[in-house]
Amino acid sequence: MEFDALVLSRIQFAFTIAFHIIFPSFTIGLASYLAVLEGLWLLTRNETFKTLYLFWVKVFALSFGMGVVSGVVMSYQLGTNWSVFSAVAGPVIGPLFAFEVLAAFFLEASFLGVMLFGWKKVGPGLHFASTVLVAFGTLTSAFWIISANSWMQSPSGFAGTVEEGLVAVNWLQVIFSPTFPERLAHMVLAAYLTTALVVAAASAFRLLKDASETESAMALKMSIGMLAIVAPLQLLAGDLSGKDVREHQPAKLAAIEAFWETRTEQPFHIAAWPDRELEGNHWELSIPKIGSWITGGSVETEIQGLDAFAPEDRPPVFIVFWAFRLMVGLGLAMIALGFWGAWTIWRGSTARNQAFLRACVAMGPTGFVAVISGWIVAEVGRQPYVIYGVLRTEDAVSPIGAGAVSASLLAFLVVYAIVFSVGALYILRLLAEGPVAGAHEAPPSQDRPPGWALGAAPEDPGPPDKEDR
Amino acid sequence: MRDIIEGPPEPETPPRPLHRRLAWFVVLALGGMAATGAVAYALRALLGLE
Repeated sequence: MEFDALVLSRIQFAFTIAFHIIFPSFTIGLASYLAVLEGLWLLTRNETFKTLYLFWVKVFALSFGMGVVSGVVMSYQLGTNWSVFSAVAGPVIGPLFAFEVLAAFFLEASFLGVMLFGWKKVGPGLHFASTVLVAFGTLTSAFWIISANSWMQSPSGFAGTVEEGLVAVNWLQVIFSPTFPERLAHMVLAAYLTTALVVAAASAFRLLKDASETESAMALKMSIGMLAIVAPLQLLAGDLSGKDVREHQPAKLAAIEAFWETRTEQPFHIAAWPDRELEGNHWELSIPKIGSWITGGSVETEIQGLDAFAPEDRPPVFIVFWAFRLMVGLGLAMIALGFWGAWTIWRGSTARNQAFLRACVAMGPTGFVAVISGWIVAEVGRQPYVIYGVLRTEDAVSPIGAGAVSASLLAFLVVYAIVFSVGALYILRLLAEGPVAGAHEAPPSQDRPPGWALGAAPEDPGPPDKEDR
Repeated sequence: MRDIIEGPPEPETPPRPLHRRLAWFVVLALGGMAATGAVAYALRALLGLE
């Protein structure tokens, strides 16, 4: 493989988006969780919800900050590294990104200030409204970004050619492209699962040290409830999204399933070693006929294999095949964890079940891994196109040299390694501390001048009374 | 972080006047927006974009 500007730009975009997607996939769910916690505190005045809110809002603020920084870099790359894509598709896709910034991003950024610094200043009602607006902003952000990405997967509502540029002729069709609803549901549910797994892991970690910690026990039960409900729903959303792929991106489906031959009664490959040069699998562990049933609804359904597409129109198979299996495998593990947790709640043993708590801690990062795997399936599976069937990736790159991209890629690697390692370590340290009741309450005031050397020492009660002598 | 993030008012504290709460709401919202804009433009300048 030659490391030219195209390959280096793809590596740079993949690297930066893999870092970036970690943060929104966490903050989308966490913002909703914070709104639920504050709502429950307002309703019940149970101090546990307030303590949990004040703990998780710190994690949210840090994650949001890192998401902003890594996200702004993404949009600039569309100009620096993918200027042909921007020039060709900008009139169609540009407004979607603009709406994301105007309607969502600024909504989040504006009311985050109230969330963090204004509870006493604006009062409980307006503060809760701010929290809800931030949560709504994160979901709106997801709406526009998935809308833009779905248009790149299944473009509709546009006219023109790559040479003369694309223009929108029907904005509703651009925004609500055919695969958009299922992909939005899949992404939002993935974000909720990711958050539930992180909250469960942090809470379980605390409970392993002290099983009587009320706040962590409550947070763990809430996470289990989310996992038990959302993980099975995600399986359904994923299946619907897969049906979309079959209809609109059959080459991607063939790569996901390592189908090389167009036929009925396709097998389902549990594991395989696909090889593009061989145009087949070196070995495979399969269940006969089930592949047609899963992807097409009947074993008699003919499913297109990669032989239906010219070699230059096929996506990379190996990485798409295995990324999909990693995502689905982790999804099944999440369903199992949710049901196991529901069982422990029913038995009343959640906070004391050491094996379950350790499993929760181990599963903590899997939401992020599943999100990145799913993103790889979506993006690598769309290759060799950047806009499916319209603009090839190799035709979308900026006319820049490999040296310039190498330098920026190196800078990204170094800066991200420093900035995000420090950020991630700080978040992990916060999580390890856990929610502490009363952590935000002001210390008792002492009538002493600031800066006094013995300011922290207990106050002298004065000479004892005669009766005490 | 502990001192910066503000907790809820104490239960016995009387609420501030509505106009002051609304004024803080607007000031903090605009401050958040300005801070985000500053980060974006700083990154833009760092990348050498016009």
